Amino acid sequence: MVVVGVNARFRVVCMGKHKKWIQVIILLAVLLIGGFSIGSSLFSKESIPKEGSAAPQFTLTGLDGNAHSLSEYRGRAVMINFWGSWCEPCTREMPAIQSQYEKWKDSGFVVLGLNLDESPVTVENFVRQYKLTFPILFDVDLRMRNRYGVISYPTSFFVDPNGKIVQIHPGEMDEQSIEEAIRSMLDK
Amino acid sequence: MIPNTKCECGHQNLVGTVLCESCGKPLYDEDGTQPLEMRYDGVARRSQKANPSWIDRIWNFFSSVKVAIYLILAILVGGALGTIYPQENTFINIDPAVYYKERYGTLGDIYYKLGLSDTYGSWWFIALLVMLGTSLVICSLDRVLPLYRALSKQQIRKHPQFILRQKVVYRGEIKEDAEQWVSRLAERLRRKRYRVRTDGTALLAEKNRFSRWGPYINHIGLIIFLLAVLARNIPGWYLDHFIGFVEGEPTPIPDTRYYLKNERFTVEFYSEDEMAESFRKRGEVVPKKYETKAVLYECVADCGTPGKQPQLKEVARHDIVVNDPLEYKGLLVYQFDYAETPRLVAVNLSLRNKKTGEAYGPFRLSMKNPATEYEAGPYRLTLKQYFPDFALDDKGVPKTVSNEPNAPAFVFVITGPGMPQDGQVYLYFPREVDKVKYRQDEINGAFGAEWELSVGGMEDVEIANYTSYLNIRVDKALPYIWVGAAIFMIGVVMGLYWQHRRIWLRIDDGVLSLGAHTNKNWYGLRRDVAWALRQTGVEVDPKQLANEVKKT
Repeated sequence: MVVVGVNARFRVVCMGKHKKWIQVIILLAVLLIGGFSIGSSLFSKESIPKEGSAAPQFTLTGLDGNAHSLSEYRGRAVMINFWGSWCEPCTREMPAIQSQYEKWKDSGFVVLGLNLDESPVTVENFVRQYKLTFPILFDVDLRMRNRYGVISYPTSFFVDPNGKIVQIHPGEMDEQSIEEAIRSMLDK
Repeated sequence: MIPNTKCECGHQNLVGTVLCESCGKPLYDEDGTQPLEMRYDGVARRSQKANPSWIDRIWNFFSSVKVAIYLILAILVGGALGTIYPQENTFINIDPAVYYKERYGTLGDIYYKLGLSDTYGSWWFIALLVMLGTSLVICSLDRVLPLYRALSKQQIRKHPQFILRQKVVYRGEIKEDAEQWVSRLAERLRRKRYRVRTDGTALLAEKNRFSRWGPYINHIGLIIFLLAVLARNIPGWYLDHFIGFVEGEPTPIPDTRYYLKNERFTVEFYSEDEMAESFRKRGEVVPKKYETKAVLYECVADCGTPGKQPQLKEVARHDIVVNDPLEYKGLLVYQFDYAETPRLVAVNLSLRNKKTGEAYGPFRLSMKNPATEYEAGPYRLTLKQYFPDFALDDKGVPKTVSNEPNAPAFVFVITGPGMPQDGQVYLYFPREVDKVKYRQDEINGAFGAEWELSVGGMEDVEIANYTSYLNIRVDKALPYIWVGAAIFMIGVVMGLYWQHRRIWLRIDDGVLSLGAHTNKNWYGLRRDVAWALRQTGVEVDPKQLANEVKKT
């Protein structure tokens, strides 16, 4: 009887160790697979930016032939304007944007005009006609339009010096509303 | 207090054991007469412990079948919620924050805000799936190992209480020599393909034990299935896009290095005499065949570099028809839909002198991103302005009203022999209707009377008639899903079509106690037992063997 008792206890101890290993390995695997799956479901989606969210990065070719990245303009207040020469309200607001750009560019303000996939020659003519001096970038295949979730033209995004979108303005803007947005971004 | 788990036969059982692992004597409810609960042969689940640690507690949580059932119910309810409104991924290019409110009203807005517009990709749904997977693994492991242990070292001589509290029971006198009778019965049972072991006057006959592993094999299949579904989250493993491809231009496939060109799309319709009478009466046009001549390119350099043309290498070519996709390294391109979108792509122009009949060129003028410089013989053409959709505003200033080449207009400056020093301006409309409508010849004046830009014939005009909508799919998890499903089926078949039947008996002082157990088809088991008994001279009707629930 004593022998049986010892054997039984020995078995329990042995199995206990063995069991713990299996438990730890399986729970770790669950943690890894579960963490990865849940994590990727949380972070994989590129959601359409809202006011308050970080402005999605982009690098696009400008009319000047150089690549322009949004990150280059960190520390400055940025107005991202989606426009097309065929879009009447876009063309109507251009003089207001140009004049505000001239007024505030030395205080750390910049306009990035993202053209909606038009031919360079069309864009060039338009820019010359309206005497625009801020950087004009080509949004080839409308990738950035889709990324920013722009559904009506024009749409302007105001990005503060920290890269955060502080205001999204769909539709035509006048000088006053642009100026207000700039002042709030530059704290002036 | 540690409960005493030692059986009267001397065997030390684990905490949670219901029937002694050795002799089968019930450790609880010792004086009862109800048929015994035979689940897992009464062995303790692995996780049942006297002093669980926190790991054990997590383990125990997932080991519970009750929890598993609640998880399944939660997944059912969650999955049902995702079917109320169409999910986000079924729309192309919408802002869900706006769309659900506009399309489905306040309820739609609430639906979106609750995150139900992407139910199956939401963290909580995936968390539920992961938890169900965990529960599957732990539930199975906790039961299959002790069960395997219990079944692989079964005691032949069982406790009389164990035998007589089975659902199939016989008790009666045996007149002849006990051991001889047992061996005769054993021989009969072997003929019924039972595996029989005897221990003097005790016997254990068993068949189709493997069917007990069916549910666990089934679970292994489910786990593989589930892991494969979760593996779709690995970048590059899963893709499901619907994209329109206009004829002619290589178009990038998002999230891949590939470009696809729709060289030509054709649609054939059934002719009148091919159609059934009912169709003919309704005067319907029924498509017979859609075909996209597709070329797949891989981008080898300058992919997505701004200002540079991506360098493409052709990797595959296929005529895609319905259910015959283009296949390349796990990438599948299916025919999905088409639209008639007649559109001018390019013209091959020559500069002609109307008087002499001389022609210079041709050069290709594209409607999308046209180059700015062209050469035609000794002449040089510079593109000054391009209006894809030409119109005049109220002041008579030319403008474009859209970015589509619906009414393209080009302004060139031509230099060369016989041209003015700073070039000759020339307005060109590729479409004949626009030429007439906007009076191209009048605007170009005297120069236009002598020179013209024109195509040689229709072969110089490139037109895209169709947009072919293709479904681009990658699903690397699919083979694993099939493997999982196959293993699942094997498990189901094992558990469904075979039953584990066992018969125990012992003879004490000329009295036979017989008990039998199966997981289903009790009728078949009773017939087996009655047949074997009759063969050895014990007249018994199968119905008599059913152990009635007795009240004492």
